[in-house]
Amino acid sequence: MKVVEALKVIDDGWVRKPEGFRVHFQKQENSEWVTEYSPGEKQKALDSDVVAWRLAWKLAEARKSDTPENDDGALVNIYVVDDLGNPTKYYASNQFEVFNRRDI
Amino acid sequence: MEGTGTFEKYRAMGELIASQGQHFVIALFILVVGLIVIKQGSKLLKLLLERFALKPQTVSTVNSIISIIVLVIVIATALEQLGMNSLVIRRVLFLVSLAVIGIIAIFRPLIPTLPFKVGNTVKVGDLLGKIEATTILNTRMRTFDGKTVFIPNSKIINDFVINYQFTETRRVKVDVGIGYDQDILKAKQILETIMIEDPRVKVTPRPTVYVLNLANGCVQLGGRCWVENAKYWTSRCELIEKTKLRFNHEGIIIAFPQLDVHHYHGDASPEFPGEEDHIREIDVK
Repeated sequence: MKVVEALKVIDDGWVRKPEGFRVHFQKQENSEWVTEYSPGEKQKALDSDVVAWRLAWKLAEARKSDTPENDDGALVNIYVVDDLGNPTKYYASNQFEVFNRRDI
Repeated sequence: MEGTGTFEKYRAMGELIASQGQHFVIALFILVVGLIVIKQGSKLLKLLLERFALKPQTVSTVNSIISIIVLVIVIATALEQLGMNSLVIRRVLFLVSLAVIGIIAIFRPLIPTLPFKVGNTVKVGDLLGKIEATTILNTRMRTFDGKTVFIPNSKIINDFVINYQFTETRRVKVDVGIGYDQDILKAKQILETIMIEDPRVKVTPRPTVYVLNLANGCVQLGGRCWVENAKYWTSRCELIEKTKLRFNHEGIIIAFPQLDVHHYHGDASPEFPGEEDHIREIDVK
């Protein structure tokens, strides 16, 4: 195996380089939970997971519901996804994290 | 008598406008359209020439020469509309254009040019900022803390200038020191992974981690990767942040400057090998 081929194997199998990040969240519309992303799926994704996680945390802090019964305006299940829609590990802990977690 | 003279002048002017007015308007139209075409054509020509990877100075010279030739043709056509199609005028125009082209071709390379364009991020001496405008005498720069600085062009020509946008990419250095008792290989792997998984970091040249030095209080690791110029600052800051947090999470302790002081009493036994001799020396003194 040539070194170039070996490097290709490493690139494909070791660490995936995402092309961008979005913040995933769910909110209530007409008493139904709908999933949205920021930036939207048709908009250009963020190129920094640090910025994406910061945005996620700020959204979570800004739209925390006072009580589980009062979900008006609340944003729940906030986390960062990559360009394929897969959840991304929080860069600080290297673990999957969800802000304002809610079982729906 | 005076009133009759004025009337005669106006009458003559009216006759002139009636007979030559149409030609005058057409000549003016040719001149205005010609100037607009030269200006727009010059921009297009510049873009076209830049594709051939010519030097900026060559592009500028060729562009100027072609613009002058077209300008002479436009003026000659306009004059022809006004009935001035004599051979003398054409020869004069031809000679003037040749002289101007000659001056440009000979003296252009001798005129010093500024090593940046408007909009570039540049460091001149101790000043770092974005170039907002350039004139013959000075250059206007806006620093990143919002100050507007007017720098004499003579100072720029005689000083070191770093143009951060001359190349598309720039290398990011992530240097970190870890304790001697830490797992170097694990630390290298974490640092390399952090760089590889960042979308802004270029695939080639590949991110690399080196053991830079075995320093006094730490093993120095150096991460090197390449990013786009425009994303350099945020990429660097975030890579450093990620490195600190990921090292913390993985249990790699980042070294910090420290000094171990050992204080011995007369009957103290040495704590580390080799210290016995040192204690003996102190006792003798």
